[in-house]
Amino acid sequence: MDSNKRSDAEEQSGPGEQRASPARPPFGKKQLPSIPKNAIPITKAASPASSTQSANGTHASYGPFYLEYSLLAEFTLVIKQKLPGIYVQPSYRSALMWFGVIFIRHGLYQDGVFKFTVYIPDNYPDGDCPRVVFDTPVFHPLVDPVSGELDVRRAFTKWRRNHNHIWQVLMYARTIFYKINTMDPLNPEAAVLYEKDIQLYKSKVVDSVKLCNSHLFDQPKIDDPYAISFSPWNPAVHEEAKEKMFAHKRRPDDYNKGLPVSGLSWVKPGSTQPFSKEDNPLQT
Amino acid sequence: MTSMVADGNRDGQSLVLEGVDPETCMIVFKNHWAQVVKILEKHDPLRSNVGGLGGGHGLGGGGGIGSFRFGPIPGDEASAVQNYVEHMLFLLMEEECGQNGAMGPILEFVVMENVLERLFIWSLRREFTDDMKIEQLKMYEMLIGQARQPLLHHKPVLKPLMMLLSSCSGSPSGPSSSTVETELVLLLNQLCCVLAKDPSVLELFFHTSEDQGAANFLIFSLLIPFIHREGLVGQQARDALLLIMALSAENNVVAKHIAENTYFCPVLATGLSGLYSSLPTKLDVPSEEWHCLHREDWQQLPALVQFLNSLEFCNAVIQVAHPSIRNQLVGYIHNGFLVPVLAPALHKLTLEEVMTTTAYLDLFIRSVSEPALLHTFLSFILLHRHDSVHILDTLVSRINTPFQLGTVSLALFRTLIGLYCEDVMLQLIFKYLIPCNHMMLSQRRVLRERDCYSVSAGKFLALTPSCCSPDIIPPPLRKLDSILWSKVTDDFHTGTIESKEVLSEEDDCGNSCVIGSEIYLDVSYLHYLYDAQNGIRHCMRACRVWSAPYDGENPPPEEYQRSTLEEAGRTRQPIASRKTPNQMHCSGPPLKDLTATPRMLELEWDDSYDACPTQLHPEEDQETRPIPEEPPKHIQELRRTAIMIVKGSYIEESEFQNDVMVYDLVAQKDANDSGSNYHVSSRPTEAAEQEVLDGPVTDQKTTNSESSMRNGLSSSVNEMDRQKRGSQSDHKSMSPEGEDLMAQYEELIRTLGAQPGSPAKADSELKSPTDLMNDEEDEIDFNSFSPETPEAETSLSPFGTKPRSGSKGHSVPFTGPFVSVLLSRLENMASNALHVNLLLTGILAQLASYPQPLLRSFLLNTNMVFQPSVRSLYQVLASVKNQIEQWSANNKDFPELLTAAQHCLLVRESSLRDSQSPQTGDWLHGSEAERIKNNQIQPKTVVPLNKTEVYATVLFTEFLKELAAIAQEHSILSHFPTDQ
Repeated sequence: MDSNKRSDAEEQSGPGEQRASPARPPFGKKQLPSIPKNAIPITKAASPASSTQSANGTHASYGPFYLEYSLLAEFTLVIKQKLPGIYVQPSYRSALMWFGVIFIRHGLYQDGVFKFTVYIPDNYPDGDCPRVVFDTPVFHPLVDPVSGELDVRRAFTKWRRNHNHIWQVLMYARTIFYKINTMDPLNPEAAVLYEKDIQLYKSKVVDSVKLCNSHLFDQPKIDDPYAISFSPWNPAVHEEAKEKMFAHKRRPDDYNKGLPVSGLSWVKPGSTQPFSKEDNPLQT
Repeated sequence: MTSMVADGNRDGQSLVLEGVDPETCMIVFKNHWAQVVKILEKHDPLRSNVGGLGGGHGLGGGGGIGSFRFGPIPGDEASAVQNYVEHMLFLLMEEECGQNGAMGPILEFVVMENVLERLFIWSLRREFTDDMKIEQLKMYEMLIGQARQPLLHHKPVLKPLMMLLSSCSGSPSGPSSSTVETELVLLLNQLCCVLAKDPSVLELFFHTSEDQGAANFLIFSLLIPFIHREGLVGQQARDALLLIMALSAENNVVAKHIAENTYFCPVLATGLSGLYSSLPTKLDVPSEEWHCLHREDWQQLPALVQFLNSLEFCNAVIQVAHPSIRNQLVGYIHNGFLVPVLAPALHKLTLEEVMTTTAYLDLFIRSVSEPALLHTFLSFILLHRHDSVHILDTLVSRINTPFQLGTVSLALFRTLIGLYCEDVMLQLIFKYLIPCNHMMLSQRRVLRERDCYSVSAGKFLALTPSCCSPDIIPPPLRKLDSILWSKVTDDFHTGTIESKEVLSEEDDCGNSCVIGSEIYLDVSYLHYLYDAQNGIRHCMRACRVWSAPYDGENPPPEEYQRSTLEEAGRTRQPIASRKTPNQMHCSGPPLKDLTATPRMLELEWDDSYDACPTQLHPEEDQETRPIPEEPPKHIQELRRTAIMIVKGSYIEESEFQNDVMVYDLVAQKDANDSGSNYHVSSRPTEAAEQEVLDGPVTDQKTTNSESSMRNGLSSSVNEMDRQKRGSQSDHKSMSPEGEDLMAQYEELIRTLGAQPGSPAKADSELKSPTDLMNDEEDEIDFNSFSPETPEAETSLSPFGTKPRSGSKGHSVPFTGPFVSVLLSRLENMASNALHVNLLLTGILAQLASYPQPLLRSFLLNTNMVFQPSVRSLYQVLASVKNQIEQWSANNKDFPELLTAAQHCLLVRESSLRDSQSPQTGDWLHGSEAERIKNNQIQPKTVVPLNKTEVYATVLFTEFLKELAAIAQEHSILSHFPTDQ
C-alpha cells in the first residue's frame, strides 16, 4: 500500500499536469500576482478568458461570456447543494478563482476551520479539474505539506463536462476530513502515521488544526475584496448580521407577502383549464 | 361684536372667538334667531293668527296680512334673514363640543328649535330658485366642512339636509343648472368624506331616507347620474362614490343596498357601452408603423379620454368595493359591455374597424389593473365565443393578416403576454406543450436541465449572418461599443498563458486567473444580459402565483396527452355544441376544399396529408364514409389567410360571412402585392437549391418552408386533418355530443374491431392514437441517439419523414396556433416591415423570458430534439439566416447598406426615447441609444424602410444576441426564484 504511493503520484501527473502545476514554490505571503491591481473591468464579474473558443462555432468575442456564465452556473449549483459547512465565494477579479472556507464539525479534524482557494482552469469545462489549495497546509495524507494543495485529481481523473461539477470538488474537499484515505498520499508522513501510529497522527492533526485556527484572523492571503476574512466577535458589527441570518429562515414567507405580485392565475391547481378556480367573480 | 362676526364670516376665515364668553355667543345667537323668526312667521302661510303682527283675520282674509303671508317676500326682509343666518351659522360652526361630547348650547338650541328645517322651509317659501338652492347648499357645505362638533348625528340637522338634497335631485323643472350641480356634487362629496371618517352617521342617512318614504341611500343615488360626467364635477362625484364603495366593503347594509336597490352597477357598465359607442370607429392612423394607442394618441381623443376615465373608475370601484358589488359590476361589464358591444365590434366588417377595436381592446387591457376586472376582460377573450369561435382564436388568426390589423393584433398579444397570466399562457401555449408530444420521448428528462455551458447561447450566436460577424467587418459602431479586453497590467503579464508560465515566477501555481488576450467584447451584449436578467427575474416573481411549474412533470404530460387530440375540438366544450347540425351536414367539408385546390399547392403545404394518399383512400372508399366535420373556425381562418398569402388571391368560402369584407380587402391588397410576396417567399427555395449542404438549414426544411405562412398553414392543416379523422369516427359510431373526441375514437376502434365485415386494414390503421404515438416515439427515441441536433433531425430524407408524419395523421404534434403563427411570421422576417419585426422579436423575447421549463426548453434549448413536424425557434432562425446569407451574397452593396441601416436604427432609437414612454418591444437596446446620442451619430445615408432585408438583418443579429443573453441568464437564475 505504502510502497507505490510515490510512483503513483507521479503517474497521475499526466501531460497536462506540467502546465497546470509547475514546481510549486512556497506559498509564503506572496499574493497571486496574476491579478492586475488596476484592472477595471466593465462588470466586476466579467472574467476575461483567453481562449478564442470556437467550439460552438461562434465568435471569439463571446468566449468570455460563455466561460463566465458556465462558472456562474456552477456557483448556483453549489448554492443549491447547500453543502454542510462549506462556504465559497468567487473572487472579485476573476470568476476562475473562488475563495472558500470549510468547517469541520466532528471527527479527527473537529473544530478545524480551513480556508482554501479554488482555481478553475480557463478552458473550463473542457480542461482539467479545478484545484483546491488550502491557505495553510493541513496535516493530511492528501494535502501537499508545502503548497497546501489537495489532491483533487484522484477523485476526478478525467473532468467531464455535464457530469462533473465544482460542487462535487467541494464535497470531496470536505469528505477527506471524515474518511481518511492514505492511498498515494501527497503527504507520506501523514499517511504513514495514520497507518502506523494513529495517536501521533491525532496529535499532529490537533496541532495542525490549532495552527490553522491561530491564523484565522490573518489578513486574507490574496488581496481581493471578496476574499474571506475572519475577525473576532464584535457585537457592534456582528450582532445585527447574526440576527438577520437567523431571521432569514422566516423570510421567504414574509417576503412573498410584502412583494406586489404582478402575475395572475385563475387556474385551479391540478387543472389545466383557464379560470377553473372557484373563487371566480360571478359571470352571470 | 356682530360686525366682527360678520366680517369674519364674509372673509371666510374662522375668526377666533376665543375669550368670547360662550354665553354671550348664545345670547347673540338667540337674538338673531328671534329676529329671523319674526320675519319667518310673518310670511308663514300656514300660520293663522299667532304671528307677531297678528291681525285676527282668517286665512282668506284682508289683503294686507294676506299679502304678507302669500305674496312675494320683500327684498329687505330676505336679506335681513340672510344676514342673521350668516352670523348664526358662524356662531354654530365655531361652537365647541360640550362636556363629554354633549351638544354645545347653540347646537342644542338649533336642534330644539328646529332652526335648520325652518330655514329650509323659508327658502322654499321664497321662490326656490337655483340661487336659493345654491345658498342652502353652500350653507351646509360650510357647516359640514367647518363645524367643530358633529352635526349630522342630529336629526333636525340631517332632515332638512336630506330634504334639500331630495329637492335638488328630483327637480321637475328639468335639469338643474350646472352651478347647482357643482355645488350639489361638492356637498355630496363632503358628506361622503364625513361618512368615510365616521361610518356611524351612515345608519342615520338610511333612516332619514326611510322617513322620506324612500328607503334609499339618497347621497348615493344623487351621485349616480354624475358617474360618467366629464370634468371636475364628474371627478368629484366619482371620488365621492369611491368613498362609499370603500365603505361598502365593511358595511353589508350599504353593500346590499347598492347591489340590490340601486342601478349603480348597470349604470356604470352600460355607461361604458354608451361611451364606447361614441368612440371613433376608425382611427386616423398616423403612420404605417403605428400599432397601438399610446398616451399621446388617446389624449387627442376626448371621447376616448372619457371612456378611459370611466373604465378607470370601474377599476377603482372593483378595487375597493364589497365583493357583492364587485361581482355584480364585473358581471354587468361582461354581459353589458364586452359581450354585446365589444364582441360585435371585434367582428365588424371592415379591416379598419376591426383594427380600431383591437387597438381599443389592447388599450383597455393596459388601462385595467384590478385582477377581477382583468379577469373579466381575459375570460371574455379566452372563453367567450362569438359565432361559435373563441375570441382568442379569432385574434390569433388575425396575427397572420397583412397590414396593420396583423400588427395591431401582435401588439395586443404583446400586452397579453406581458400580464404574466397563467390562464392566458395556458390557452395560448402551454396546453399544447403539456402533453410533451412536441418532443421526442427521450427528451422529456432533459427538459428541465439547465444549459450549464451556454451551449444554446453559442448556437444562437452562431447563426449570426456572416455579413454581420464582428470578426469580419467590425462596423464603426461596433468599435464604439466594444471594450478592448486586454490585460491591464503593464509590468508582469504580457501575453498568454504560456508566456506567463515562462516569464513569471510570481505565477506560483500556474493558475491563470486572469488572462489577457486582445478581445473586443461586445458591450451591447452586456446590456442584453442585464435586460435579460431583469426580465427573467421579473417574470419568475410574477409567476410565483401560478398553479403549476409547467416543467414536464406538473401538470403530468400523461394525463393530458389525450387533450392534445381533443384540442382540435377545443377541449372545453362538446364539439357538437359549436356547430349546428345544419352546418355539419351541408357545409362544404374542408376535405373538398382541399382537393379542389390545385394539387401543386397541396403538395407544397400539406405533406402529411399528401404523403399518404393510399392510406386515406381506403377510408374514403368505405361505403359509410362519414361527413367530416368542419375544422374549428379559427383553423379555417388560419388556413384561409394562409391560402390567400400563398396564392396571392382570395378564395371565397361561403360560410364566412362576417369577415368577408375584411378579407376581401386583404385580398385586394394582397393581389396587388402578390408578385413580390411570392417572390420573397420562394427565394429560400432557390437558396436551398444552391446551398443544399451549406448551413444548418437543410433542403428538407427549406422546401418545407416554402412560404412564410407555411408553418401556420401546415399546422392548421394537420390539425384539421386530425379533426377530420376524429370526426369521421365519431360520426360513424355515436352521437358527437357528450364524450370527448378521444373516447369516441376509442369507442369506434372497439366497434370496428368487433365488426366482422370491417376491413382489417382499418383496424390496424386506426390504432389507438396513444399507441400510435408511443410506437412513434419509441421508434424515434431510438433514432435520436445519433442525431443530437434539430438540424440532424430535419435532414432526414423527405421519404423518411413524410410517410411517418402521414401515418400518424391525427396525432401530429402541434405547438399551437399562436406559436405557429409567430414562428411563421418570424420566418418571413426578411420581408417584414421593421416595426413588425420589432414586435415579433419583442414578443418572442418576452416568451423566452418565461421560466417554465416547458416553454424555456421549447424556445431556447437548441439541443432538444423535437418531433419532425414541430418547428423550433432555432430552425426558423436558421432559415432566416439562410435567407439573409443568400441575399447578402447577391447584393454587392449589402455591407454598406447594413452599416447605414444600423445608423438609422440607432438614431431612431434615440428619437423614440426622447418622445415616448418606453414600451416593451419597441426597443432594441435602450442604453445603446443613449451612447449613440452622446456620440452624435448621424446617419450618413438614410436607408429606406422598404429595404426590409437590410433592416431585418440588423434586427436579426440583435435578436440573436438577445436570445443568447436570455438563454445564458436562465442558466444561472433558475435556482433563485425568490431572489432579489
